[in-house]
Amino acid sequence: MTVVVEMEGVTKLFGQKRAVKNVSLKIVKGSAAALLGPNGAGKTTSIAMMLGLTHPTRGRVQLFGGDPSSPQQHVRLGVMLQGVSVPDRLSVLETINLFRGFYSHPLSLDRLLVASGLEGDARVMASKLSGGKMRRLQFALALAGDPEVLFLDEPTVGMDVTSRRKFWDELREFIAAGKTLLLTTHDLQEADMVADRVIVMNDGEIVADDAPERIKMEFAGRQISFVVQSDIDPQRFKMLPHVIEVKMAGRQITLRTTDSDTLLRTLILDQWDISDIQVTGGGLEDAFVRLTSEAGALI
Amino acid sequence: MKPMLALWKGELLRTARDRRFFTLTLGMPIAFYFIFINQVGTNVQIAGTFWSEYFMVSMAAFGVVGSSVNTLAVRLATERKSGWVRFLRTTPLSSVGYTVAKILTQLTLSLLIILVVFIVARFSQHVTMPSVRWVEILLWLWLGSLPFAALGVLIGLAGNAAQVLGTLVYLVLSMLGGLWTPVQALPTTMREIATWMPTYRFAQPAWELLAGRPISFVSIAILCGYTVLFVLVAAWIGRKVDTRPEI
Repeated sequence: MTVVVEMEGVTKLFGQKRAVKNVSLKIVKGSAAALLGPNGAGKTTSIAMMLGLTHPTRGRVQLFGGDPSSPQQHVRLGVMLQGVSVPDRLSVLETINLFRGFYSHPLSLDRLLVASGLEGDARVMASKLSGGKMRRLQFALALAGDPEVLFLDEPTVGMDVTSRRKFWDELREFIAAGKTLLLTTHDLQEADMVADRVIVMNDGEIVADDAPERIKMEFAGRQISFVVQSDIDPQRFKMLPHVIEVKMAGRQITLRTTDSDTLLRTLILDQWDISDIQVTGGGLEDAFVRLTSEAGALI
Repeated sequence: MKPMLALWKGELLRTARDRRFFTLTLGMPIAFYFIFINQVGTNVQIAGTFWSEYFMVSMAAFGVVGSSVNTLAVRLATERKSGWVRFLRTTPLSSVGYTVAKILTQLTLSLLIILVVFIVARFSQHVTMPSVRWVEILLWLWLGSLPFAALGVLIGLAGNAAQVLGTLVYLVLSMLGGLWTPVQALPTTMREIATWMPTYRFAQPAWELLAGRPISFVSIAILCGYTVLFVLVAAWIGRKVDTRPEI
């Protein structure tokens, strides 16, 4: 397996504040990893170090086995950063062409306009684009050099629903071609859709790093939901074994549990008057909330 | 090489569309030229040459300083603030490539400003001199503009203050350096101050060339001193700015 990015015992201090604490991780070629975490968790700082934009205080960061700040390492890379606005007085087309000029084997202009959905805006001044279109232009710039690896920091912020759908379609195509993706996002549903690996950061540390399925299983638990037939006091479900939480919506009851098998058996053997039983895995969002807000209590 | 050329091309395209560049940086020296020539008179003798020639050099220098100190500084500050510089650092464009592209852009603009001022003086005031002298003065003003590009880079690090600071430094240096009122017409103290200004040391060799005298090495030495100072301070501040925590 070719290693694209490697961090080894990396710590980054900003004055007294420790933004990243002793983080080690490897991103291998062909993987689609999502970096999740609340604001200030150290995601952007980690990405900045992987790209050589800032240097670690301690530890080692390698990109393609070399120095991340060396321009040669950036030839195979496409990047979307947060909080970047493009220069004024250049049209969308000229801005894309400027970036195409940075690479020796750029994608064609037409291909990039299609990928970003900006065919109709090619002649518009780039700095005048709306927030969502600006983000799409930056996606086109990230793809300009036909990269092997994409680093996307909060790529869909500001995009509308249609733009998002198109963006994820493009991204899935990119992953299907065997290329590597590392993205940070707040939209957990989207991370769940494209990522085959989820790295959760909190307070500068990695608190979970696994396939999305396993993270959901381990940290979100399972849910059993059903409809109660007669007037049962819902509070009675709280007494059952392995129940963490009881949610009610009319006659619909949802139990969050650490052991769905045992709970289900109990519900049936005790002959509770319930129907329409469904067992579902908890979402990534549940896992995320538990990992980041209850991290101290959990680990 | 290729990324650097791509950026150079882009920068020139942006300048060609910049109305502020044409009205202020290019327009002001030309307007001043006409105003002061009419006030003083074309055939007045000064420092071994004619006023129309002397002030042509003053205004070419004034324009070049404006483009470097003011326009470049504001643009660099904007690009830093907008995250564009940071974004460019993730591409194969090296920081050397970025700097060289900026310097090439600056040199191209300086050349344009000098040529326009020369052409205006040549055809409006019938300034004439041997071709060799035109070329000598052009080359001096062109390459002598580099210290001011370094000063522009330095002021560009001032963030939001760059616009005000750039305009202030541009006008104050031009005034104190004798680009508006010739030093010969200034009080002794002002004249003494002028000799230490980079602007005076930039224009003075060109005035000497006009009068058929050789370039003074003192001026070259003082300009080199300023360049080293600007570059070192810019590098020092630049490192501080770049290691600040990002949001």
